[in-house]
Amino acid sequence: MADAVFLALTVITIGSAIAALELRSLIYGSIALMGTLGGIAGFFFLLDSPFVALFQLAVYVGSIAVLILFTVMLVRRELIFKNIEDRRRKFAGLALMLVTMVALGAVFLDSGIKTITTDEPAAEFRDIGMSFVTYYWPALILMALILAGSVTGSLVLAKREDVENDQRTS
Amino acid sequence: MSVIAPKFKLSEFVKSLLDNIFWVLLLMTIVGIPAVQIALFYIEMPVIHGELLTPFLALTWLADPTRLLPVIHALMATDFFRIAAFPGFGFAALLAAGTIFIERKMLAKLQLRVGPFYCGKIEGILQLMGDGLKLISKEIIIPAKADKPLFWAAPVLFVGAAAAFVALIPVAPGWVVADVDMGLLAVFAVIGFFPIITILSAWSANSKFPFIGGIRALFQMVSFEIPLILSLLGVVIVTGTLNLSEISASQSFFPWIVFLPVGAIVFFITMLAELERIPFDLPEAESEIVAGWLTEFSGMMYGLVQLGTYLKLYAFAALFVVLFLGGWNGPMVVPPFPEELLVGVEMGPVKVGPFPGLPLFDQAMLNGTFWFVIKTVGVIFFILLPRGVFPRIRIDMLLSLGWTKLIGLAFVNIFIALGLLYAGVLGPGGLQ
Repeated sequence: MADAVFLALTVITIGSAIAALELRSLIYGSIALMGTLGGIAGFFFLLDSPFVALFQLAVYVGSIAVLILFTVMLVRRELIFKNIEDRRRKFAGLALMLVTMVALGAVFLDSGIKTITTDEPAAEFRDIGMSFVTYYWPALILMALILAGSVTGSLVLAKREDVENDQRTS
Repeated sequence: MSVIAPKFKLSEFVKSLLDNIFWVLLLMTIVGIPAVQIALFYIEMPVIHGELLTPFLALTWLADPTRLLPVIHALMATDFFRIAAFPGFGFAALLAAGTIFIERKMLAKLQLRVGPFYCGKIEGILQLMGDGLKLISKEIIIPAKADKPLFWAAPVLFVGAAAAFVALIPVAPGWVVADVDMGLLAVFAVIGFFPIITILSAWSANSKFPFIGGIRALFQMVSFEIPLILSLLGVVIVTGTLNLSEISASQSFFPWIVFLPVGAIVFFITMLAELERIPFDLPEAESEIVAGWLTEFSGMMYGLVQLGTYLKLYAFAALFVVLFLGGWNGPMVVPPFPEELLVGVEMGPVKVGPFPGLPLFDQAMLNGTFWFVIKTVGVIFFILLPRGVFPRIRIDMLLSLGWTKLIGLAFVNIFIALGLLYAGVLGPGGLQ
C-alpha cells in the first residue's frame, strides 16, 4: 500500500515538476507547481510527520503558489520571453540537469543513507518543541527575531504615507 | 388573485399528476417487474438462518422494526453516514440553506422591507426551494473566450474545499468526520486553498469584472489570513493542543472567550473578511463591479459557488464556537430516556422490548448537538447582522486594518495567553 502511494506521489511530483517547467501557459505552469508542492506534502504524510506536511500545504501551496499566480497574472507574457530558446540551449540544460542529479545522487548514496534503520518511532512535534525551548534555544531566539523582523518589515512596507487623507472629507 | 401563474387551473394540475402516475405504473408493470424477475434468475441470494433470502422475505424483514432499527443503528456508525449526513455535508448544507433564507428575511426586516413573501403560504417559506429549482433548470453559459477546464473546475473545487473545512468541525463528543491530531493546522491548510480557487476562477472567466474581483479577493484573503492564524494561537497556547475535539472538551467549565476576548474579536473581524461579507465585501461589490468574481457564473455553477460560500460561513461560525464559545459544552437539557425503552416493559403475559437498536442517539450527543447548534446559529446571526447596518469600506482602509491593527492586536492576544499561563491563572495549579 505504502509503496503504491509512494510511486503515485513520485509520478505526480516529478511529472508536475516537468510540466511546470515545460508548459507554455504560465498559469497552468504554476498550477503544476502547486501539484509538485502538494506531492511533497504527501511525502511528508507518508513519513509520519503530518505537522510538516500541513505546514507545507498551508505555506507553500497556500501562500507561495498564490504569490506566483498573482505575479504571473499581473505580468505581460511578452516581456518575459524575449529570446526564443534554441536547440543548443535545450541540450545544455538537459546535460546540466543530468550532471547535477548524478552528483547529488552520488552524495546521497555515499552518505550512508542505506544503513539507516527505519524501526524508530516518528519524532513527535511536542518533542521537537521541547528540545527547541531547552537545548536549541539560540536557534529559537534567532528564528523568532527573523520572524519578528519580517513581520515588522512587512508592516512598514504596507503602511503608505503618501495617499493619506486625500479622499477623506473629515 | 395571484398574478404569478395567471393560467393556472387546478383540474389541469390534477390531470397532469394523474397522467404521470399512470405512466409510472404502466412502465413499472410492463418493464420494471419483468426486469427484476429476469435479474433474480442470475443473482444467487444468500441463505440466512437456514432461510433463502428472497426479495419478499427481505421486504418483510425491513417492515419489522426490531430488525430494521439495528440496521439503521449500524448504518449511523459508518463513515459514509458521517461524511454525507450528520456531522458532515448534509447537516452543514441544511444549516447553510436555513442561513440563506434567514439572511434574506432578516435583512428585509432590518431595512423595513417585506422580503420573500409569495412563494409558500407563510412568509415565503418555499422561496429557497424555488430558487434552487430555478438555478438547476437554468442554462449554464460559458463565456466564449473562457479557459474552459479551469472555469468548470472552479465551483466544484470551491464546494470541495468548503466541505473539507466542514469535515474538521467536531459537533458533539465523538461526532466529527475527521478527528485529526493537527485539526487547527489542517484548518489553516484548507483556508489557504480558497484564494487560489478564487483567483483561478476569476482569471479563467477572461472577463474584466471577475478579474478585478478576483484580485481584490486575493488581496483580502491573503492579508487577513495572517491575523486569523495569529489570533488562534492564543487558544493553542492555553490548551496545549491542536486537536479541535480536545480544544472543545477543554472548555467544560468556561469558554476561552472569557480569557481571550481580544483574540475572539480579531478572529471575528478576520472571519468577516475571509467570508467576503459586508463591510468587507469588496470582491463582490455589486455597485462597482457587477458581482465581482461571480459575474460570469450562471445556472447551477453559481448555485454551487453560493452553496460553498454558505458552507464556509457555517464552518467559520462553528470554528468560532469550538475555539472560543465552548463547542458542545452546556448544561444538560435533554431529559434521560424512559427506563421502559431501555429494558422493556411487562404487561401481564406480554413482554415488550427491550428494543434492539434503540436509542439511536445517546443523551450526551443530543445535548452536545443542541448547544452546538444554538451557539453556531447565534454566531451566524452576528455575522449576518452587519450586512443590514454597515457600508462597504475602501480597499486601502481594509488593507491597513488587516496589516497594522489586527496583527498588532493578535500579538497582544498571544501575550495575554502567555501571561495567563506564566501567572498561574490557567494551566497546572491554576483554574484548569
